[in-house]
Amino acid sequence: MSVDLEKILRPVDTPLPKFPAKYMTLANGQEMVVRQAERDEIPDILPHVEPLIHVERDFYNIVAARLYSELLAYYTYRVQDEYVLVAQIDGELAAIVNGRSVSPDVGMSYHTFSLRRGLRVGAHAFATKMEYHIDILKQKEVLIVAESGIGFRRWMIEYNLEKRFHIPHELGGCPSWSLTKELFDKARNTLVVGRRPVPEHLLAKAKAGILPPSDPPKGPEDLLAATRSMLDSTATSLIEMRRKQGGKIQ
Amino acid sequence: MELNIYAYKCKRCGELHYPYKTICKKCGENDHNEFDIVPLPKKGKLLTFTTLYTLPSDYEVVTLALGIVELENGIRITGQLDIKNPKIGMKVNGKVEVVRKDLYKKHLGMIFYKE
Amino acid sequence: MREVYVAGIGITSFSRLEYPLVEIAAYPGLMALRDAGLKKVDHLYVANMGGGRINGQTGLASAVVDHMSLTPAGAETIENGPASGASAIKQGYMAIASGMHDVVMVIGAERMREANPLEATDFVATLTHPQAEYIYGVTLPALAGMFTRLYMEKYGVTARHLAMVAVKNHKNAMDNFYAHLHEDITIEGILDSPEASTNNPYVADPLRFYDVCPVSDGGACLILATAEVMKKINKPMIRLAGIGQATDTHCVHERKDPTELLAVREAARQSFKMAGVKPSDVSVAELHDAFTILEIAESEEVGFFKKGEGHLALERGETQIGGKIPINPSGGLKAKGHPVGATGVGQAHEIVLQLRGEAGKRQVKNAKVGFTCNFGGFGNNVVCLTFIKE
Repeated sequence: MSVDLEKILRPVDTPLPKFPAKYMTLANGQEMVVRQAERDEIPDILPHVEPLIHVERDFYNIVAARLYSELLAYYTYRVQDEYVLVAQIDGELAAIVNGRSVSPDVGMSYHTFSLRRGLRVGAHAFATKMEYHIDILKQKEVLIVAESGIGFRRWMIEYNLEKRFHIPHELGGCPSWSLTKELFDKARNTLVVGRRPVPEHLLAKAKAGILPPSDPPKGPEDLLAATRSMLDSTATSLIEMRRKQGGKIQ
Repeated sequence: MELNIYAYKCKRCGELHYPYKTICKKCGENDHNEFDIVPLPKKGKLLTFTTLYTLPSDYEVVTLALGIVELENGIRITGQLDIKNPKIGMKVNGKVEVVRKDLYKKHLGMIFYKE
Repeated sequence: MREVYVAGIGITSFSRLEYPLVEIAAYPGLMALRDAGLKKVDHLYVANMGGGRINGQTGLASAVVDHMSLTPAGAETIENGPASGASAIKQGYMAIASGMHDVVMVIGAERMREANPLEATDFVATLTHPQAEYIYGVTLPALAGMFTRLYMEKYGVTARHLAMVAVKNHKNAMDNFYAHLHEDITIEGILDSPEASTNNPYVADPLRFYDVCPVSDGGACLILATAEVMKKINKPMIRLAGIGQATDTHCVHERKDPTELLAVREAARQSFKMAGVKPSDVSVAELHDAFTILEIAESEEVGFFKKGEGHLALERGETQIGGKIPINPSGGLKAKGHPVGATGVGQAHEIVLQLRGEAGKRQVKNAKVGFTCNFGGFGNNVVCLTFIKE
């Protein structure tokens, strides 16, 4: 009789309520559907995260790299109680948010990753994630950190998060901030929007498949100019440049 | 000690200025610094207001209510508001308090309350 | 005084540019030289507001003139807040009209996105009065918010009118390759839908997210020259016919009537007088819509519509391309972008394109007289330009 190694290595997941899909109208009139991704959809999502590991701007590289590992961990059953929500516009992947449940009372927000700029998709996605923790999982608070200044302004400042600096966040031990149920209720009317149920045709389109984003964030078109703009005459400040040119410059 | 915001009165023609101007805007005849200081009244009428959400980095609050008030003597002043539901034309009373802190310095200015 | 013509134009995308500030200034200069078929200029003016504070580069014009290998031509950096661009064009005009130079290059450039959004807001807020406005946390959006509230109260302008300006300008920008935002927003998305509060949150109420222009990087260039030089250049004769400038009180609260933009009114009056045209002669205009309310207010103050009726003309579609007086066919500051120092030159660039008949899908038919209004501070320093196609 062989040992069931897989059973030993897998964490035991708590049964968590599923996220009921919702939809919202964006500034350009298009409709976006936010739903929980199934485990077997992760391989369809990973190829859209990978290119951003090489975009060294706005912390896309570290967010994409960490998110990639979190998605893989979810897919291969190596993290406990993680969830992944995807936002799609006409089937196209617009944003990914993920996190996990630490305990019945405490949630841990991982990342908010937006592939469609200019329509406040990130704001919608983040608010939806908070709704999942507070309203659906019925937790008392969610611990959050921000890698980029944009995230900091949108979440820590706009939601007026409380400091929980004595609690190291799972994303590298940085001081955590907390969204409590009270703060969430205060923000509910303006920041947490979207409607349910999602109309049949919209949900069907979203579930049919995760389509590639049409205009994802990209690296600078002129790498040498970008290094000059970082005041670097050695042109070595862009890791991507070295990677692509195999260690040589042009 | 009650603090005031000061207007500047031209010594030649008596015109009140807030904020300070080097040359009197009415007679233009003054010598340098030929102004008397006059404390501004604290009562006035709210002319317009806004709630600002995108604050400069010095502020820890989420929003800031700002307004332009026409004081009893006709001079107008910009100030912060500590009023729940401001309305144009509302009667307000001002008090000089800390309105901004930048690193180590505290700045004093008028905060208006509902009368 | 000699007549002054536009010999060449150039522009970058107004978006987020990962180039050094000097190159954002030099690229449109290069394009303009190629456009005019020129190799040298007599003098260079560079309009820029944030070089020192945001980009760590003071004396920008001195850097640009060398970067473009145009030394030993003289060069000056012109700073007039958000009206730096038009002010620099004004300096270029005076240099040629006075007989001092024959060919002058005017560049406007800004790289605001090198700083984070909080720093960019703080930087623009330094335009306000330090003791009477800045210490209260007043920023330009706050001043615009207070102005909008009064306008709504006095003339019945509504949030819907503001949204209509944004939608119109975004639509125009869809046909403008250089525009910062290519987002065909709808009134439903930003105002009517239940999600409008997240799509379009308040910035300085009553102004919302889509009422405020974006923070952009960008550069634009105009080469001005005498009629003699124009003879050798195979381009339409577009004359810089009128310039006007006026100032108003520094503190917004000291304005006589806080709903009036007297500096706009006077600058426009001077510009039309000098050009010998009336507001009703204008075929196309680029107004300074850093906040959507300003497009409405300026359209009245310059004389296109009666005071208080700008929003009614907007409703009737008179300011669309194809309407009575198309305003901001480029997308305006709202959708084309607002790299502060470059804006004034960018506005002039669009007008020249229109008068030359090279504006493609956003061409205003038979454009003959073009007008720009470049608004410095919050209405306390305004420069207006009038161009005529000969």
